[in-house]
Amino acid sequence: MLIKNIRFLLIIVILVSFNLNAEIIEVNFVYIGHEEHPALLGIKQGIDESNLQGQFLNQKYNLEIISENKIQKHNFTKYIAILTTVKSNELKSLAKELTNIPIFNLTDESNELRVNCITNILHITPSNKMKADALKQWQTKIPDSKANPQSWHYSFKKFAARDLNKRFKKNYKTNMDDYSWAGWAAVKMTSDTVARTKIISAKNMLNYLKTKLSFDGQKGSDMNFRVTGQLRQLILLVEDNKVIAEAPIRGVAKPPTLESLGILNCSK
Amino acid sequence: MRFFWTLLTITLFLFNSFVVNADGRIFVTNERSNTVSVINAKSLTIENTIKIGERPRGIGLSPDNTELYVAVSEEDKIVVVDPNTLKILRKFEAGSDPETFGVHPNGNIYISNEDDAKATVFDPKTGEQIAEIRVGLEPEGVAVSPDGERVIVTSESTNMLHVIKTPENIIESNILVGSRPRAAVFNNSGDIAYATAEISGEVVKVDVRKAKIIKTGTTGDAKSKPKDIILSKDENVIYVAGGRANKVIVMDADSLEIIKGIPVGKRVWGLAMSGDGGRIFTTNGVSGTISVIDTIKNEVIKTIEVGKFPWGVVVRED
Repeated sequence: MLIKNIRFLLIIVILVSFNLNAEIIEVNFVYIGHEEHPALLGIKQGIDESNLQGQFLNQKYNLEIISENKIQKHNFTKYIAILTTVKSNELKSLAKELTNIPIFNLTDESNELRVNCITNILHITPSNKMKADALKQWQTKIPDSKANPQSWHYSFKKFAARDLNKRFKKNYKTNMDDYSWAGWAAVKMTSDTVARTKIISAKNMLNYLKTKLSFDGQKGSDMNFRVTGQLRQLILLVEDNKVIAEAPIRGVAKPPTLESLGILNCSK
Repeated sequence: MRFFWTLLTITLFLFNSFVVNADGRIFVTNERSNTVSVINAKSLTIENTIKIGERPRGIGLSPDNTELYVAVSEEDKIVVVDPNTLKILRKFEAGSDPETFGVHPNGNIYISNEDDAKATVFDPKTGEQIAEIRVGLEPEGVAVSPDGERVIVTSESTNMLHVIKTPENIIESNILVGSRPRAAVFNNSGDIAYATAEISGEVVKVDVRKAKIIKTGTTGDAKSKPKDIILSKDENVIYVAGGRANKVIVMDADSLEIIKGIPVGKRVWGLAMSGDGGRIFTTNGVSGTISVIDTIKNEVIKTIEVGKFPWGVVVRED
């Protein structure tokens, strides 16, 4: 009798776990910023791509959009991450308010924000210092270069950047720029992590992104974050709408070459 | 007299094709020259260069070795070439941006359509599309099991191996692997597959039926962005094209430990093995060369100059 009962229980447990496996995991992002911002197009591209992957893994990715002036009364508990284009001061107060959720900074380049090492802000966009360092390296080869340091460019082809540019343009009839790349990358690295680890709590996501991330941002090397919260990445030097070089510049930057760009440490 | 000349011509022609067949040929796509280099497999010298079409990448042979297939990505076509006469026989539409493909033992071609997140199946005899399979983003590598029961398509931006059951042409399982999986190969019985992940610099060994990763190895060098992967005839060793590490990485097929790195040309991507397993041919994209590796010594025995950015390579012997 006992054995029969145990067997019965086992069958139930197995059936329940099968059901759990088949259940769809819902993952929610929130965007805070203007609806016309190019970052939002990148975010939407990222959500689309995440759902394309999610269909094979029973995962569904959703996006909510709220404007800056509605932050106060909003309940943020259901989100895996916040994606935002707000400026430095708003970012800081947001980070203070919502300590256990990753906040992706998609636009603000201030060095101060990096030096402050705010634990829950992840800077996808490169700092001013990163860009300046990239240009300086290039000027060792061409001193009067007027190249513009950028994190992305629509003419970039290497590392399958061509493919990302092509599908973005097809969907949104506009070129992918630095901000739309940042939005795309923030969503994609989060959904990649959900796919690999099944992490769905914002707190664990923040911890994973800061310490274990290995992300393919379609810029060559695998990407991860510095202690400052800054995403390590190469910088494109663009002149006359063409990518003319990639920093770290080969032969100029010393290994580990990515560390030749930007701020490495927090202020004490 | 005329009869004599005709006879002589025929004899010379037959002799010539006999010699060519006996030596075997290596075919190489040159992505930026829009050509296919034809190399004599015995003398290891260039025999001919075929103008093939825009951005040739994937290359393969029909199961009976009588037809050579080349994917010309920019033209969205597959070009069919007679590997004896080197004449272009026909072309057919092969979906958007065909990149790599695998030839099934039944003669059908499985193509990854990079821009469209799908794999398509074509009958190269008629040029007809037989099936379309939705896969992840940027599908790239295609591997067909020797028994033809399964096909693996890798999707680079979705980080998956899609295991497709044939002849139903439906996805049986999806295996999440490291970042940017680029190529895969089955073992002889088709129950194990190996795949490379370019950005994470990994090689994974998977149980195909259970859809599980058995083991993960790394290619060691930070610069190595592994691409093509092939298995030795005795199944003891795998060879991995190391990309910017400019070497072929030899790994133990069981433990995935590195046995040796063989220096070849710059940005090595494509790999092909001779029928007896004695030689491996590599495409070195930036160098514009082919390296020939002796698999007993695991050393390069010859380097052959081809066109600009050689991409795919295939060996024909019979």
